[in-house]
Amino acid sequence: MTQKLSRRDMLKLAAASAAAVGAGLVPTIRIFAAPPGQDTVTLRFQENEEQYAKVVEAFKQQFPNVNIEFVNVTGVDHAEVASKILAQLAAGQPVNIGYAATEATQLYAGEGLALALDQRVMDNKDELAEYFADVSPVLVETDLYEGSLYQLPRDFNAANMYFNTALLKEAGLEVPGEEWTKDDFVEYAKAMTGIGEGKDSFGYGWTNRLWGSWTPWFFVNDTNFLSEEKAPGGEWLWENFYAGDPNAEGRGGGYRWPAPQANNPKMVETLEFVLSLTKDGYAPEATIGGGDLLQGFFTSGKLGMTPAGGFWSGGLINAGMNVGDFDVQFWPKWVSQRHQLGVGAAWILNGAENEDQAWEFVKFSSKKEVMEMIGFFGELTGTTPVRRSMNDEKRYSKSGPANWHVFYDTVDKRPDTGPIPAPVFSIEETNIYTRYTSSATSGEMSAQAALDAMQKDLEDLYARNA
Amino acid sequence: MSSSAIHYPPEHRRNFIGRLLAADTISGVKRQRMLLGYLFIAPTVIGLFVFVIGPMIGSFGLSFYKWNVFRPPEFVGLANFQRLAGDARVFLSFKTTFILVAMTVIMLEGLALALALSVYRLANRALSTFFRTAYFLPVLLSGAAVAITLGYLFNKDFGVINYYLGLLGIPKIPWLTSSDTVLFTISLTTVWRNLGFTFIIYLGGLSTMPGEILEAAEVDGAQGWQKLLRITLPLLSPTILFAAVTDIIKMLQFFDEPFIMTRGGPGDASRTVVMMMYESGFGNLDFGYGSAIALVLFAVIMIVTGIQFYLSRRWVFYG
Repeated sequence: MTQKLSRRDMLKLAAASAAAVGAGLVPTIRIFAAPPGQDTVTLRFQENEEQYAKVVEAFKQQFPNVNIEFVNVTGVDHAEVASKILAQLAAGQPVNIGYAATEATQLYAGEGLALALDQRVMDNKDELAEYFADVSPVLVETDLYEGSLYQLPRDFNAANMYFNTALLKEAGLEVPGEEWTKDDFVEYAKAMTGIGEGKDSFGYGWTNRLWGSWTPWFFVNDTNFLSEEKAPGGEWLWENFYAGDPNAEGRGGGYRWPAPQANNPKMVETLEFVLSLTKDGYAPEATIGGGDLLQGFFTSGKLGMTPAGGFWSGGLINAGMNVGDFDVQFWPKWVSQRHQLGVGAAWILNGAENEDQAWEFVKFSSKKEVMEMIGFFGELTGTTPVRRSMNDEKRYSKSGPANWHVFYDTVDKRPDTGPIPAPVFSIEETNIYTRYTSSATSGEMSAQAALDAMQKDLEDLYARNA
Repeated sequence: MSSSAIHYPPEHRRNFIGRLLAADTISGVKRQRMLLGYLFIAPTVIGLFVFVIGPMIGSFGLSFYKWNVFRPPEFVGLANFQRLAGDARVFLSFKTTFILVAMTVIMLEGLALALALSVYRLANRALSTFFRTAYFLPVLLSGAAVAITLGYLFNKDFGVINYYLGLLGIPKIPWLTSSDTVLFTISLTTVWRNLGFTFIIYLGGLSTMPGEILEAAEVDGAQGWQKLLRITLPLLSPTILFAAVTDIIKMLQFFDEPFIMTRGGPGDASRTVVMMMYESGFGNLDFGYGSAIALVLFAVIMIVTGIQFYLSRRWVFYG
């Protein structure tokens, strides 16, 4: 008996294979773990290997059976990094330990991806007491979601005002005092415009994104494009670790942003003020993206002031500036002097087989002597450490700024400082925010029209996620 | 019987494969050769199914679901397509994409053809090699690197281009921050990066043109524009069709340049369909809706390509 292998048969076989492949394209979340019974486990860790090499080496000495596999993800902002992590998740390649800035903290927590750490923190209360004593409650509250703690903060950046000291000097000015105001700021911007080597400097520059965009301005105008409230809960944390700390009073179970309010009069007033800086020639037209462009122009003496956090001090030195070429101060006072910040930390994948080992790594990494090993907490500061004791003169001796204390004073002396608005659907929210901001900065829409349109899109977003 | 055919001892023919591939019959030899052919094309076919057809089927299936990675997919029927039909931003992104495609393809084909004709006529071989290399070099660059670099150059307040225009007394142009100019700027960037590839295609087409026809035309007195329009271009028309079809398909999938240079802004002025698809899927975690956009784009590309081939009957000369 013979059987012909026809083209038709071949096509049938191919179609069946394609259907199988297609069906496999909707993967279930596969947890990356060592097979049962195998002593050595591997944890996929979302971090830059170069920055964490020493930490992992030290960890391996204590936990020789745990391998750390690095997954380095970069993006123009933290929302984009989160998108890429979720794309990996969709492809069935999740990380065991991720890194989330405020932009993604509630996304991971709210969707059940991140593991709540409450019980583990309480089980290690004595060991972690020293950590919490060294970290401002302002920072810890940012990593709470609906009463539970999902991350142990590692670094943060509040938007402070950076000054190019050469332009300041040429304008006959000095770094202002802590209590300087919005009106003082305008005078500074005006004085630092049109000077410098090419007589083409701008007094102030900013970039269109969520953190450090025009966000610091509506924070000091005591408003926000999303309403803000505190979730109940969190007493377990405050009572056990922050009893007696005045800055911990009134704190709850994390932030909530229950409704959009983008076109409220204060928001319109703020955007109009920011647009007026460009209209008056004190600021260039804001473009979308990261801070690289601003850094280049600040370094080359084309920008007098710009919003940035501790991460910029090392970055500016790496970009060619010297100690003393820049300084920093609080954001100017308007209605209030409330700063906006973002906090970054590791989170643990919920439901992974190696949660215990992942927790050990996260806990190990929060020790002061271990944090000192992290690359960007080295000689040049790549981001601000959350530990108060690590923000000292020695840390900033190789980079400055002279007012380095402002970085941590922002949370200690201005405890009303809060996170950028980043609910569970923060990625789409950020897209809406930057989209209509660009419509306003380009002059295609008035501040009122742009914020009205932003409000409508945010309302649709909230309705879809109700 | 083929000398290379595999001979199976009679006892092996008891099994199915043995009987099927028995080389002592003509049909057995044919089957052996056929199997060999299938084995040769298997890697390509498997690759096609795993990386092209499989994902297409997967994407088609996903377009009927609501899926955000975290939760199991939920079947929603045609809801994603109904939402798409009423989504003004998606329609705007299609319009933006078509404008970008029209601008870019016209500039690309025109410039590439003009440069190919110029370089083809160069008698100096070294100079010809230099220009071929120079025009092709941008093709080797990463799209992201080109977009970042040109984004700096086109910056309204700090960019080098406005600086030099300023020296000529021309006021600053908002290359990337005005809806009047942003599409032209993105188009210009894309043309610069892709010109070399289309140029090489045209140069290849010119090199294979039958010389005797051109010589005969010259003997008959055809010169300059007359020779170009009546002889060269008709002979080159199959190449023009190929270049236009491939460029239009590629440009309908515009992503790198607008994503990196403007993020779709200002507002939605430079947001293309693929950006909408990416943002819906990977940004907003709405993979079903992203897949629905992808399917509609696929259908549009099919229709546009079909129209091009239909119209080509009127102007493409296959000799």
